[in-house]
Amino acid sequence: MEAGTITPAGGRSSESLQRSPAARLPDRLLRWGLTALAGGVIALIGYFFVKLIVESEPIFQKVGFLDFLFTSDWVPSKGLYGAVPLLAGTLITSAIALVLGVPVAVAAALYITELCPRRIRSPLTVLVELLAAVPSVVYGLWGFFFLIPKLGPAERWFADTFSFVPFVGGSVTGPNYFVAGLILAIMILPITSAISREVIATVPSEHKEAALALGATRWEMIRMAVIPYARGGIAGGAMLGLGRAIGETIAVTLVIGNAPTVGHSLFQQGYTLAAVIANEFGEAASDPTHRAALIAAGLVLFVLTLVVNAIARAFVLRAERGQRAARTPAAGMAA
Amino acid sequence: MSALALPPTSARRRRADRVARGLVALLTLVALVPLVLIVYYLLKQGLSSIGLDFWTTDPTGSFLGSPGGIKSAILGTIVMVGLATAVAVPVGVGVAIWLVELGRASRFAHAVRYFIDVMTGVPSIVFGLFVYITLVLAGVGGSSFAAWKGSVALGLLMLPIVTRSAEVVLLLVPDTLREAAYALGAPRWRVIARVVLPTALPGIVTGVLLAIARAAGETAPLLFTAAVVNDTTFNVNNRMNSLPALIFQNVGQAQDRLVQMAWGAALTLVAMVLVLTLLARMIQRRSRLS
Amino acid sequence: MQMRYSKPLAAGCALAIALGAAACGSSSSSSSSSGGSSGGTLNGAGSTFQAPLVGEWAKRFKESNGVTVNYDPIGSGGGIAQFSAGTVDFGGTDAAMKPDELATAQKKGAPLHIPIALGAVTVSYNVSGVKTGLKLDGATIANIFLGKVTKWNDPAIAGQNAGVTLPATSITVCHRSDESGTTKNFTAFLVDYSKAWASGPGSDKSVQWPTGTGAKGNDGVAGCVKQTQGAVGYVEQAFALQNNFTTADVKNKAGNYVAPSLAATSAAGTGVTPPPDLRFATINADGAQTYPITAVTFELTWQDPCKAGLSKTVAANLKGWFDYVLGTGQSIAPQLQYAALPPEIKTKAQAKVDSMTCNGAAISASS
Repeated sequence: MEAGTITPAGGRSSESLQRSPAARLPDRLLRWGLTALAGGVIALIGYFFVKLIVESEPIFQKVGFLDFLFTSDWVPSKGLYGAVPLLAGTLITSAIALVLGVPVAVAAALYITELCPRRIRSPLTVLVELLAAVPSVVYGLWGFFFLIPKLGPAERWFADTFSFVPFVGGSVTGPNYFVAGLILAIMILPITSAISREVIATVPSEHKEAALALGATRWEMIRMAVIPYARGGIAGGAMLGLGRAIGETIAVTLVIGNAPTVGHSLFQQGYTLAAVIANEFGEAASDPTHRAALIAAGLVLFVLTLVVNAIARAFVLRAERGQRAARTPAAGMAA
Repeated sequence: MSALALPPTSARRRRADRVARGLVALLTLVALVPLVLIVYYLLKQGLSSIGLDFWTTDPTGSFLGSPGGIKSAILGTIVMVGLATAVAVPVGVGVAIWLVELGRASRFAHAVRYFIDVMTGVPSIVFGLFVYITLVLAGVGGSSFAAWKGSVALGLLMLPIVTRSAEVVLLLVPDTLREAAYALGAPRWRVIARVVLPTALPGIVTGVLLAIARAAGETAPLLFTAAVVNDTTFNVNNRMNSLPALIFQNVGQAQDRLVQMAWGAALTLVAMVLVLTLLARMIQRRSRLS
Repeated sequence: MQMRYSKPLAAGCALAIALGAAACGSSSSSSSSSGGSSGGTLNGAGSTFQAPLVGEWAKRFKESNGVTVNYDPIGSGGGIAQFSAGTVDFGGTDAAMKPDELATAQKKGAPLHIPIALGAVTVSYNVSGVKTGLKLDGATIANIFLGKVTKWNDPAIAGQNAGVTLPATSITVCHRSDESGTTKNFTAFLVDYSKAWASGPGSDKSVQWPTGTGAKGNDGVAGCVKQTQGAVGYVEQAFALQNNFTTADVKNKAGNYVAPSLAATSAAGTGVTPPPDLRFATINADGAQTYPITAVTFELTWQDPCKAGLSKTVAANLKGWFDYVLGTGQSIAPQLQYAALPPEIKTKAQAKVDSMTCNGAAISASS
């Protein structure tokens, strides 16, 4: 609808734009209705948080918060609920995901925005984003039937050849931390790459042209002008990817082996906070302590993602602020 | 203009440049390899199972005979995601409208925005767990596992996505449009309904489609809430099958026929999600606002 | 401006309408294909050990009675938990409830253990070149699962299998990651033959496995064995047969190596006198040709389902289901290589089912 084709309210003559209280009613209703909706959403999320805390109360009463987090025996049948294997698994797989995924995501973002021919820019973007469309259960399916068997011999060779490196040597099981971390790395590619792409695209062309004018090669220009400028935003994108990796359940539980122990090497089985909830909720239906332990695991997971996302937001905000500050003097100079 | 004679770039720097750019290109290729492999594997394993029969027969749950098809799973996904959408979209768009048109920069709006942001980061399994304790174990509605409870979990997942993307699009609607409408004496609700929303519609639809695509692929919330059954049912107060849950149930099965069913279901699900995603992108590209 | 997005939107709407039409079209044909979905639904969950049998029974029960039985194979631990929590109408378990589990259930009502069949827990393996049943005794199996015997050509195995060429492949143990009645029965057997196992992992639905890969459900362990060369795992007979696994001949109490055949499984049930509440096990039973790792599998229900919170219809359907299970169902069981209940045990089970009431009044089974 074009501006200017709007009929005045109620079809009355536009002489008097004063509206009667009756005519103001719809607006009032709208305001109240939508405000109530927004308030309702806050109330829901608040209730959500409170409920999680309340329901996890029993386990903290029984075992104590610190004990829950730092004991390493998770044996529900014996009433032992130590979350160390779960935390370790979550952190290890997420770390692997970051180490493997972020460089590739940033490289793809760099290539798409700076280096690739204009024609393939769009299809390439779509292809990377399509990775986000694959459901996590399909990642798990593919990981279970394709990655695990195919990677087995390679992992075996790697563990044997580099057995002097800590956490590499030793026995190799089919499902293990590494495969889980690899799948997570693939899953965080789209989001980290998308954010990095956005940030890299906002680098002012003056910076880039200045570098090139000084005789820098293409790569040197990227290294001098693009990356330092985009660093904060890229870190934010990496943090958002981390948040995703921490919370991923289904793909991980299918390829990590679900063993409530801390493996000695990258190529051994493990467990994560998210996977334990998915696997044990059925068995915990009538055991309040077990249920509370799982909810506590969910709470820890929630808090972790909260913290990581907050850090991500801080990075991105700082990068945006820096961009705005950097842009003004440059614009002044160009004028 | 004096000709600036820059010293020629040294061979070392030129080599470093070529190597670095090659490496970046290589890593980009690496980023594409998983997609190619997944699609290839999906087609290779799944194409043989899919077909009209596969899509229109229920799983039999029989150990001996034929494993059947995935009809109940497809319909279950459509029903549950549809119900979730029917609730999440009005609420989400409503909150977005409130944020942009009514709340603007107030402190309450900041709080709402923050809470929505928090919700975006919550792992889907925590939503499932929440619905499990509040609705399933408590037996709300006279049933334990029920499809509508699955929809609640999916709706919670979709809400922040819809709100966020709707808010972004609504913010892109030029203020001049709004001001012109107000200047002509239109009441607020009219401005929103007849000016802002129609302009933002493609963007909102994009956001909704992406949220649907995301919800259709979620497994974790459904495990806790809708469970898995074989028969087709439209009774939302009963357990209902769904594509992700069916796939999850059949991974790791030793019987090849059941694994085949999982691949066929995976191919179907990915096709559905891909269609939604591509549709969303097409609409987004054609929108005036992006 | 309308033109720009109207085409993809129109396409999307057309797709949605087409899907909806297809759904409505096919749904009307589905309800006519079965024996009538008017009879109601029963929801059960639990043991994967009995899942093949229950699946087959459910299919035929629906054809004859019109009642749909949904069974969620989440493991015996899950079955007991969901049953006690009231989220399912009946539970499936291969391990009788422990005292604390009984106490939890008794808060809601009086739980009944109804044995439904006997099944063999096979020791299945995937070793190329070994196509016959290896002779293994309890001590050796325990040592394999303890991680003490690590290769297939270990003297402990070779000693019992003269004349069989054993490769030097490493043994990969496949075990359960979820709470499992199959695990309980298997470990109960190991405890009888290995002091190290008894003082170590012990016998329970879930134990701390010294070695190996975990998988969910009997089907998961079967998948693990199938996928890994040199793997060994414990799965119910039906799964072993479905996947053409080679199974071990296990040494029983009488000293004979017995293969997990239907006859050997049935033999484990003869001569067993269960206690009044029918919470018993048939591990390591007497008999010359008994398969020593035979498990009884149960279904849990309430003596008074209505008092426990279930509706009258569900109570009637439950009675009908159990009448079927203990009647026609018993003749179907051998087709899937599960042994039917011995007559004395079946009579006692039927007596339990007959004692089911709804708020004190007798239930008339829906037929």
